[in-house]
Amino acid sequence: MSYLGSFFGFGILGNALDAFQEAANVTSDNIANSNTPGASRQVVNLQEAPAVSGSPFASAHIPGTLGNGSIAASVQRIHDESYDSLFRGASSSQNFFTVQQSQLTSLQSSFGEPSNGVNSYFTAFQTAISQLASQGGSSTSARAGVLSAAQALTQSLNSASSAISQQQTQTIAQAGSIVTTVNGILDKIATLNGQIRASTAVGDNPNQLQDQRDQLVDQLSQYLSTQTNIQADGSALVTVNGQALVNDTVAYHLSQPVVGTAANGTPTFKIDFQSNPPAASNAPGIPLGSGQLAGFQDLYNNKLTAYSQQLDAFASSLAGEVNRITESGYDQNGIAGTALFASAVPGTSITAANIHVSIADPSQLPAALASTAAGNLVVPMNSANNTVDTSAALNANGGLADPPAAAGITGTLTVNVDGVNQTFTYNTNTTDTTVSAFISHFNSMHYGVTASFNASAQSIVFARDPSNIDLVHRAAQAAAGTPTSPDFTITDSNNPAVAGTSLLGALGAANISGVQQNNTNAFGAGDSGAANALLQSFSSNAGVPFLQTNSGAANVPAPGTFTIALPAGVTNVNVGDVLTVDAQPGGVGPQENVTVSAVSFNPATGIESFTATYANAHAAGFSISSAQKQTMGQAYGQLVTQMGSDLATANTGVQSQTALSQNINNARQSVDGINVDEETQNLIKYQNAYQAVAQSMNVMESLLNTVINTLGSGH
Amino acid sequence: MRIATSTMYDNQTIQIDNLVAQQQQQGTEASTGVQLNGPSDDPMQIATDLQVRTTIAQENQANANIQNATTQLTTVDGAMSTLTSIMQSARGIAVQAAGGFTSPTQQSALASQVDSLLQEAIGVANTKYNGQYVFGGTSGGSTSGPVTPNGQPISSVTFNGNLNQQNEKLFNGQSLNTSVSLQQAFNFQSPDGSPDIFQTLITLRDTIQNGTVTSESAAGVNSPNTAFTGGAGAQAINTAGILSTALTPDANGNVDIQILSAKAPAGVTIAIPATDTVPQVLTAINAQTAATGVTASFDYRQQRLTLSSNAGNFSVTDVASAGAPTPGNFVEAFGLQSQANLQNDVSRQLGDIDHATQVMLNARSSLGGTLQTLNAIGTANSSQVVNDTKVQSGIEDADIAKVISQFSQTQTVLQAAYATTTRLESKTLFDYLQ
Repeated sequence: MSYLGSFFGFGILGNALDAFQEAANVTSDNIANSNTPGASRQVVNLQEAPAVSGSPFASAHIPGTLGNGSIAASVQRIHDESYDSLFRGASSSQNFFTVQQSQLTSLQSSFGEPSNGVNSYFTAFQTAISQLASQGGSSTSARAGVLSAAQALTQSLNSASSAISQQQTQTIAQAGSIVTTVNGILDKIATLNGQIRASTAVGDNPNQLQDQRDQLVDQLSQYLSTQTNIQADGSALVTVNGQALVNDTVAYHLSQPVVGTAANGTPTFKIDFQSNPPAASNAPGIPLGSGQLAGFQDLYNNKLTAYSQQLDAFASSLAGEVNRITESGYDQNGIAGTALFASAVPGTSITAANIHVSIADPSQLPAALASTAAGNLVVPMNSANNTVDTSAALNANGGLADPPAAAGITGTLTVNVDGVNQTFTYNTNTTDTTVSAFISHFNSMHYGVTASFNASAQSIVFARDPSNIDLVHRAAQAAAGTPTSPDFTITDSNNPAVAGTSLLGALGAANISGVQQNNTNAFGAGDSGAANALLQSFSSNAGVPFLQTNSGAANVPAPGTFTIALPAGVTNVNVGDVLTVDAQPGGVGPQENVTVSAVSFNPATGIESFTATYANAHAAGFSISSAQKQTMGQAYGQLVTQMGSDLATANTGVQSQTALSQNINNARQSVDGINVDEETQNLIKYQNAYQAVAQSMNVMESLLNTVINTLGSGH
Repeated sequence: MRIATSTMYDNQTIQIDNLVAQQQQQGTEASTGVQLNGPSDDPMQIATDLQVRTTIAQENQANANIQNATTQLTTVDGAMSTLTSIMQSARGIAVQAAGGFTSPTQQSALASQVDSLLQEAIGVANTKYNGQYVFGGTSGGSTSGPVTPNGQPISSVTFNGNLNQQNEKLFNGQSLNTSVSLQQAFNFQSPDGSPDIFQTLITLRDTIQNGTVTSESAAGVNSPNTAFTGGAGAQAINTAGILSTALTPDANGNVDIQILSAKAPAGVTIAIPATDTVPQVLTAINAQTAATGVTASFDYRQQRLTLSSNAGNFSVTDVASAGAPTPGNFVEAFGLQSQANLQNDVSRQLGDIDHATQVMLNARSSLGGTLQTLNAIGTANSSQVVNDTKVQSGIEDADIAKVISQFSQTQTVLQAAYATTTRLESKTLFDYLQ
């Protein structure tokens, strides 16, 4: 319509009809896509067509230019990139929590707490022990009850452990299939980048391609954190924490998730970029930020691995405490006790996965403890017709059959327990002036043997005490390398046979030196000393140590004073704490106990270091543990609390991040979303305009008719 | 603000989803009555909850244990009640025997009654509860029981058990002795050396049966914190301070005695220098056994001198050695009865019976104390269970009224949401286009 004929108005109207038709088409497209995810609303930019000027045919006798109608200049995509990045951040975060929520919910129900979990079986084990302690070691039904409760407990630990490891396997498998999806998305984005760049180069607006690409990046942000940078040529640079995922038409594929090794040796879930050769197992992996993949990674590294370690620590603590007691007891047949719990895989340390009950026969359950009372190793201390006054001075005490000489006596008792000789120094003038003083002095040394006075037998009783909480002695026993045994011997440095010269003699013993407890002189089968000791261990601080870690890359090269940095996050060491350290990684002896002399903390790195004096060298990665400060039940409760609060955090996270991403999406949609009502109004608007133009065409036609027919017929 | 059509739908969907999830949670709480269905429901309280559950189970077990211990002690008390009757009967027989016999038949009948009592006492000593011998200490079960008689007639018993306590250890660390040892019940292996119930009955039976008569120190002869010893270090009987009644020798430094018996109607004088040791005294007396029928022994643990004869009554008197005006005081210093006859002898055995009975009664009264303690602990424990159950309920149980009201509130909102959604979704501008 570029020429100005007499009926130039047809050209004007034709342009407008085209423009309104285009506008109606775009509106229809909008309505058609009102439910298409990622579709942005499009508008037609209507423009006045350029004015007609300078034509010889123009009736240019009046000022002004005449327009040439309206034209559809472009179809514009309404989109605000700033909302995209906000939405994707929230969506990543929402998905991070969503996968954790679903995984942790299933783990929580596998654990069955608080009603049907490990705790209830642990409780049942305790009550079974209590029944055995109450009914005495000769009650076969109580013995069998303990064994079956122990079996149920180990099975519940096994299944809790397997629930965690299955979850770990699943985490890797699910993350693996996500990686495949992500790689597909990356390919599509790369392809779209190429198409968009080509289209942009020729000045086109590739609206639909851009919508598709944005939609794909939205999808991608569900899986990991993304940042998008639209380049001048129209292509998008998609990165995850600064590392390119898609650059122009190149997609950098992720490799399948692997369990690599962190700097401190712990297994770590990570995802690398595909490369040849594959990334080293100790390479750091891609910083995933947030999203489902990061959710799985966090789940594996910071939750499942921690749960599994805590559960293993509980199982090994339980086995350690219980075994130490059963190994120092006697069974119903008077035979030295064996460990109640063992690893199903011989030669490996006990974990929640492999713990099992190693005693099958109820009569072999050690419930009794050795003592001198049973072995008649100590005779009445009193002289004829006298009662021993335990608070009266020992020296020259006529109430004793063999009192120490009036001047007092000194010497040592050698107490041999579990192959460790421990020396007790006595002096009846200072530390051991009375029977009571001797007993409390002796018991304060925690030798694994306790002394008490039996008033009715007028004799002193030495009994094996497996509830030895003294860390130093425990470590000394572990260091000696001999297994725990029920036997003990006590030897006096002075000859008890010479009257008035020895403490053992004064205590009424013809001699208890060198007498080995055995199945003929142990407590009887009806004794429940070991069961009582077990009972006690449940209520004492025998749980998982408050500190259990390793020295990482630090080592102690030689005996001396060294400062060792603890792994990041371990910050609960105090000056004066006694720590047990192994010579080698993995709990390999010999152990030694060190006292912390100084602690320093670097707030910048979060690293705490402690200084101590070592008697031995220790290889890098040696394990560090401290005395228990909680009961076994509390240690397990801590694990359950941790799991519960992790899931609660995930639940809250899902809620808040869902709301957040929804709000951002609403805001985004308010700009680029399609409102059917609005589009309908537009459609009506364009329709009306079209109708008006068409009507104008009629008028034009009638004008033309007038000109052609009326004027013509006059000639 | 523009609202995209899909936003409208999406928002409604999410709100309804949230409300349904909320209603489901409230429904679960209302129908189970429990708000703590998993650790994540209340991570702050879950550790306490686990602890309380364990504590309640422990306390329930403790109650069962206390019940068991109470029943066991009741059995023991029953056994000791039987034993009390046995000792009362034995005492009656001893009193009757001390009154003198009318005939050898009666003597034999009484002896046989005592033998029956002895066997009954052995039966009591082997009382069982729940498969365990209650007086066996911690020795466990054996087929025959801890006390087995030796000889026919029974001349001694063998004890296969031990004297250890059976302790009831409670979860709070408290330890209760829930047993009575053979020593406490039967005065067995008494630290003061006094004879046990079995030995007392055996001696009584033999005394009545055989007419064995003894003259024995009424009590230990030593002063407190002193004792005669035998062997190489034996002290002279006139060592100052040992005898509680000081030895007063005659003018010649002797404490001679004379024994009169059926065998030696004229009397046999035994010379005892005050510088003799206890073994020397015994040797001197036993050297004349053939003439007197009397043998001497000394119990170093009890510090008692015993002269006994199975040839009828005898008497022991102090006599002066040649040339001395007055005799020494050996009989007095060693607390002997000057006339040893069956009546005196049996009367003296009443002391042993009474002593053993007293020891047993002491054990019974301490057993009664233990039963009371157990009862008190049981009551305290039961109320502790109630308290702990309250704590558990406070942590776990839902506030039903609150949950129900929340539930209906959620339901109202949910219905409103459904209604709104239906309205919103039913109309678009298209509906009004002609």
